[in-house]
Amino acid sequence: MIDILRVRDLEVEFVTPHMRTRAVDKVSFRIGAQQTVALVGESGSGKTTISQAIMGILPKSARVAGGSIVFADPKKPGTRVDIAMLSANSAEMRAIRGGSISMIFQEPMSSLSPIHTVGDQICEAVRLHQKVGASEARNLAREMLELVGFPNAKSALRTYPFELSGGLRQRAMIAMALVCRPALLVADEPTTALDVTIQAQTLRLIKDLQQNLKMSVLLITHDLGVVANMADHMVVVYNGRVVERGKTEDIFINPGHAYTRSLLQAVPHFDMAPGERLTPLRDIKPRTDGLLTLVDKFDRKMARLEQQANAGPKHARMGPVAGHSTRDGVHGGAGADANSPPNYSADQANTGPDGAEPVNRRLSEGMRGEAVLAVSHLSKSFPVRKSGWFGMDERRIEAVSDVSLTVGRGECVGLVGESGCGKTTLSKLIMRAMAPDSGSILFRGESGQMTELVGLDEDRLAPYRKRIQFVFQDPFSSLNPRMTVQDLISEPMLIHGVGTSAYRRKMVLELMEVVGLDPRFLNRYPHSFSGGQRQRIGIARALCLRPDLLILDEPTSALDVSVQAQILNLLKDLQRDLNLTYLFISHNLAVIDYMADRIAVMCAGRIVESAPRASLFRNPAHPYTQALLNAVPYADLDHPLDFSKIIDGKCSDPAAWPTPFTVDRMSSPPMVQLAEDHFVRMSRPDYQEIAV
Amino acid sequence: MLTFMARRLLVMIPTLIMISVLVFIVIQLPPGDFLTTYLNELKAQGEAVDPAKIAFLRAQYGLDEPLYMQYIHWAWGLLHGNLGFSFEYNLPVTEVVGDRLWLSMVLNFSTILFIYLISFPIGIYSATRQYSWGDYGITLLGFLGLAMPNFLFALVLLYYANVVFGTSIGGLMDPEFINAGWSLPKVMSVIEHLWAPVLVIGTSGTAAMIRRLRANLLDELGKQYVVTARAKGLSPMKVLFKYPLRMSLNPFISDIGNILPQVVSGSVLVSVVMSLPTTGPMLLSALQSQDMYLAGSFLMFLALLTVVGMFVSDLLLAWLDPRIRLQGSISE
Repeated sequence: MIDILRVRDLEVEFVTPHMRTRAVDKVSFRIGAQQTVALVGESGSGKTTISQAIMGILPKSARVAGGSIVFADPKKPGTRVDIAMLSANSAEMRAIRGGSISMIFQEPMSSLSPIHTVGDQICEAVRLHQKVGASEARNLAREMLELVGFPNAKSALRTYPFELSGGLRQRAMIAMALVCRPALLVADEPTTALDVTIQAQTLRLIKDLQQNLKMSVLLITHDLGVVANMADHMVVVYNGRVVERGKTEDIFINPGHAYTRSLLQAVPHFDMAPGERLTPLRDIKPRTDGLLTLVDKFDRKMARLEQQANAGPKHARMGPVAGHSTRDGVHGGAGADANSPPNYSADQANTGPDGAEPVNRRLSEGMRGEAVLAVSHLSKSFPVRKSGWFGMDERRIEAVSDVSLTVGRGECVGLVGESGCGKTTLSKLIMRAMAPDSGSILFRGESGQMTELVGLDEDRLAPYRKRIQFVFQDPFSSLNPRMTVQDLISEPMLIHGVGTSAYRRKMVLELMEVVGLDPRFLNRYPHSFSGGQRQRIGIARALCLRPDLLILDEPTSALDVSVQAQILNLLKDLQRDLNLTYLFISHNLAVIDYMADRIAVMCAGRIVESAPRASLFRNPAHPYTQALLNAVPYADLDHPLDFSKIIDGKCSDPAAWPTPFTVDRMSSPPMVQLAEDHFVRMSRPDYQEIAV
Repeated sequence: MLTFMARRLLVMIPTLIMISVLVFIVIQLPPGDFLTTYLNELKAQGEAVDPAKIAFLRAQYGLDEPLYMQYIHWAWGLLHGNLGFSFEYNLPVTEVVGDRLWLSMVLNFSTILFIYLISFPIGIYSATRQYSWGDYGITLLGFLGLAMPNFLFALVLLYYANVVFGTSIGGLMDPEFINAGWSLPKVMSVIEHLWAPVLVIGTSGTAAMIRRLRANLLDELGKQYVVTARAKGLSPMKVLFKYPLRMSLNPFISDIGNILPQVVSGSVLVSVVMSLPTTGPMLLSALQSQDMYLAGSFLMFLALLTVVGMFVSDLLLAWLDPRIRLQGSISE
């Protein structure tokens, strides 16, 4: 077989006034005709730099320091060009770039110019490399748009990128890259920014087009699931070096290098044995004995004492409000007490609870299963403004609609959904960062009572704010760069006036150990930490008030797989040791599967299905859940994506779901119970609506 | 699009009415009126004034009417193209302003053209060769241009033109044309004289524009779509002109509305120093002597320029940038 591209001993250096860094070091690999080769590595491994070197679009500060990139264009048999020797802007290189080798990029939004029509941008590529007139170019562009699956290619030529959805944008990008029928397509994380169903569609498209156009593909990705489904060969890069390369099957079955092995073990997959753990590159052993757990031990002792004291009948949990011996009663006064130093709370505790009810929020067995949070029929819509001749024409978009959800103590509830499904809005509503239009949010506060959060004013909400904490998606923008780690972690305690400064200092030190960070880093600023370390700081910050409920909004989606495994394990350990309750929001089904006990699937503002982990994956009832599950690429050669099951178009459009699942103006089906704990949104007269 | 234009035009009407009221109030704010100022001047010169004559004048000019009636008269006149009567010159405002208005417009438009013509190539050069010697040199020159007061530059230029070349570069035409009718030689003379004030007034604007173009363009050059364009195989020049440059234009277009009145009012000092027959110095003296109709006309003219400039820039923006044109009407 003839190789299209042979990269040999490629070296790329970044030269800055102060230093020179070798980003790519003696990398060699080859791409055969019509083959797909995956370049796998984590961020910073140099995989993108390699692709830039092949395209001749290295940034200004980088230069090829050695090696060769020999390209043999099958359209011009017998010719070989060493791209590494060509000047980046020479006519020869420009003819190859976009003509024989094309590239698609990660971000379909920012990769297309927003102010030129799709047709303009595609025709430009055509006319650069082929001697055709304007109308001929338009025809070619239209054909290519049809080929990539645009429903109405002719009118698509006149649209602007911002008028298209993310999936269509990526298709337009692919059309633009392929319109000159290149011999090699370089795809740099082509589906990372896309939702999982759109990702599956896009992967299928690339595969189909590859056959159609007889081209080779260099796929750059960090997602081993994508690799397993797409690539014939794979090249694993680490730190600018190739650590392993070979046939995909060989490497998946028998990874030779330790790094490859650990990468494979770090990916969560669906058939993990109960209790099986991911193996991150570097594991963290959290130390959880200190202030956080001290209180717990005290709590348990208290509980035991009480159980002995009232061996009598157990009282209803939802008793009358205040005044009872809840934790408030124990410490005297609502508010700041739960976080006060354990030593003096212990003193007061002995002075006597009047103890009619189970005392505390972190009680072990007896309390497990009681609901911490019960959301019911929550809705929120946002106005969309459209200006007419006079005044505004208001329409409303339902971001969250009729959502009911319960989170039990000690439980991890997973919320899955694609971008724009309303999962972040829901979390903001629960945090009461915004007020819902209707519905109720019951939360078990310090008093042990379920309290309605909707309608509380800011003052009365304050004690509950401490009890619900949030971990954000982006570890880079969620930490103030001008605050030290010490300040960052202790800020929530300062805001709520918790503890003395000595207590806060001690708590921060302890939290650093809990999340596996060296306490010596306390005076550093966030910029000196990696993404995973920053996320750990974020987790420590969320834990410092010892919340009842931790809402984790895509906490690992900005991280590499090995770091993701580390964070997931940390969260699991913390949950076990500190008896935490999680609401875990993610678009990644495998991650949710690894973390959650119960899973709710959300689409278009509604929860469409909710079930315990095992039954949801074994027995998905809702078409959307099925579409989601079908679309997940497994990092496992025995479970290839079934491309025939992937439906084009939006499976997230509720009006397009088959009956009895259809949600449109005519019908809005309620949640019904299929099996114990398994709820689906559908209209079936033979099932009753169930209050979840 | 048509709706948008119509709406924008409709909005301009109440805006202009509001401005006219404000202008009128501002002019009337200092105590007294033109006649009291005039009287004081006469008294200072030791001349006696007949109170009857003053009362007569006051009635004739309508200064004895209540304020709102004066405003209505003035506004009504404006609507019919009657700008009122200048007390100081004893002539209708239109005649007083006369050529000055046109000369100001010529001067200002040449200045804007100068700013754009000079700053664009330099800004592009500076951005594409960031941190090169050329970039540093231009940056230095730009800061000099920004830092130097216009009138000082005018004085320096006048001095050296006189001392070194022995010519006078003041004024906008040779002295023999000043009161002559328009003719080809007069036009040529204006063009010959134009460069000096344009250079003086335009320097700081050019320098500021270079800095902004450089910053805007640098932002755009780092964007992903530039890489995409390069990956298509476009030559660097074509990439630059079709994508990032086009994207970095928006701030300049939205600036048109600001730049017009800025240039008009900013050139007052220079006009005084270089004795240019433009509107600036006249506005200054009209405000000082409370020659209310003359001042009011000028101020309204400035307001009109601003409002129209804004309108033009909005239209251009909508035309150039589909996001502005289309995004409003897109659902989701």
